[in-house]
Amino acid sequence: MAKILIVDDEKGLRLGTKRLLESEGFLVDTAENGTEGIAKGTSQEFDLAVIDLKMPDIEGLEVLQTIKAKYPNTVCFIATAYASIDTAIESTRLGAYNYIPKPFTPEEILHHLDIGYKHRKLLLEAERLRQEREVSLLEISYEKSRLRTIINNINEGVLVINTNGELAYFNNAALKNLDIPDLIIGEFVLNKIPKGISEIVNKYLESSEAIKKSYSTQVDIKPNFELVIEANCSPIVDEYGKISGIVIVLRNISDFKKIEMVKSQFVSMVAHELKTPVAAVSGFLKIIMDESLNVSYEQQREYISRSIIRLKGLLDLVNDLLDISRMEMKTKQREIEKLDLVELLNSTIQFLELELAKKGIEIIKTYQKENIYFNGDQNEITRLFTNILSNAIKYNKDKGEIAIKVFYSTNYINVEISDSGIGMKPEEKAKLFQEFFRAKNEYTRGVSGTGLGLTIVRRIVDSYHGKIEVESEYGKGTTFKIQLPINN
Amino acid sequence: MALVAIIDDDADIIEATSLVLKSKGFSVVTANNPNDGYAIVKENNPNLIILDVMMDEPDDGFFLAQKFRREGIKTPILMYTSVSKAIGFQYGSGEMVPVDDFVEKPISPEQLVAKVENLLAKK
Repeated sequence: MAKILIVDDEKGLRLGTKRLLESEGFLVDTAENGTEGIAKGTSQEFDLAVIDLKMPDIEGLEVLQTIKAKYPNTVCFIATAYASIDTAIESTRLGAYNYIPKPFTPEEILHHLDIGYKHRKLLLEAERLRQEREVSLLEISYEKSRLRTIINNINEGVLVINTNGELAYFNNAALKNLDIPDLIIGEFVLNKIPKGISEIVNKYLESSEAIKKSYSTQVDIKPNFELVIEANCSPIVDEYGKISGIVIVLRNISDFKKIEMVKSQFVSMVAHELKTPVAAVSGFLKIIMDESLNVSYEQQREYISRSIIRLKGLLDLVNDLLDISRMEMKTKQREIEKLDLVELLNSTIQFLELELAKKGIEIIKTYQKENIYFNGDQNEITRLFTNILSNAIKYNKDKGEIAIKVFYSTNYINVEISDSGIGMKPEEKAKLFQEFFRAKNEYTRGVSGTGLGLTIVRRIVDSYHGKIEVESEYGKGTTFKIQLPINN
Repeated sequence: MALVAIIDDDADIIEATSLVLKSKGFSVVTANNPNDGYAIVKENNPNLIILDVMMDEPDDGFFLAQKFRREGIKTPILMYTSVSKAIGFQYGSGEMVPVDDFVEKPISPEQLVAKVENLLAKK
């Protein structure tokens, strides 16, 4: 129901109009002069207002302006007995919807108000739409800034390229992952991005039919695995099924590639180490089987015993590999207990007695205390001592010696094992802890081993947060210095 | 009778190869490292060289083969490989790899003899 304000100083007209309009269903309020008109018209919003032009206190046009200033959607009419083109223009210029010449018939005023009320409804609808639009614009800009923040904060680089090959969007990580100093939105970018990626983008752009698939490629941005990225390119398809751009996501996979390379190198080394004895044994067996070669019985026996030695080496190697893999997977159940390193060293020496006796090697022991305790896994620590001591025997000279010292320093238990053996050249020392490295020189021919002994040693020492150092002089001997943290 | 030089760091492979070739009437000289291998070739001027690709370092055999070719030694070279597939080396004879044929370990006696005789016949 429309609310209407009548502002007129003529009492008869005011009341007559009120009665008429109320009978037509309007909610009517009246004001008897300009002052009251302004007071009522600005204290609440009316749908419609009919304002007399000439009033003794305030001019109708001023009342009009004041109401319109407060409620721009109130549809106002100026009623005037002095209707002229000039006042009509002036009043509409000041915000009146129309003017009503006085005197008016009931039909005339009802007709005007009917049209005015429809206009009022349109104004309100427009207002509502404007507000809705403002809210959604606000939401969009909020959403945009949120997206930008998210995209800028992910580690993956993001590039969006339009169908002209121009840059539509990029984030900071894209600069970093492509190692490009700067990019500008809108610039032609296909010659700035790596060839492997631009080729894929071109494939999308040049195809007559929209390609809906995503493609990925790996690109070396910097050599030697310093920066390798994986680029995932996907089309942005518009509502008509046409490609409107390409989004490229760039992921830094350098670390992954490095690990992959180390792993595949290790696998190929293992393959080589495993295959070598198999090839030798297989060679012997084929010779024995080949009747045309006429191998004597004694020679056959010789080849079989050499094959057994190679197979034992192979078995040792497999066991070492299993130990390493167990250590790597940390699935090994460790049994940490209080160990006496003196006792463990002595029992290891006893275990190696035969080899010591064969070469006539003398052991000189210097233990700071009678018992030196360390919390560790007995198998691991025994393995550690066995590997170092058996190297000290294997690479020693006949009638040489091995000196074992165990002593405390502030934070560590120090175990030093020195041999009077063949020593190492500096370049051999550098590679000492590498998997499968075995020093090869005139002294070492005939010394067998898996090439994994010291790899295992270092891993054991590392796992206890200890340290290991090597001092060596070629032809004179080698000292391994192990430091295990005091933990008892 | 033809003289074959065998250069391999695996004593058992040298032993097995020597036995097979000797039984077929070849003469054999052997070395178990690249330096000695170079020396026996210079000294004995063999009719054929059998060379292991991986000695101390993964491509010692290659370097030795290249060294022979650089010095104008044109003796045919049969290269022993063991894990060419595993490490992704795919050799083919050519300028980069100046050898005449490859044989993948382990080798059967017939295959070895066939390859050796084939290379000697070509010459």
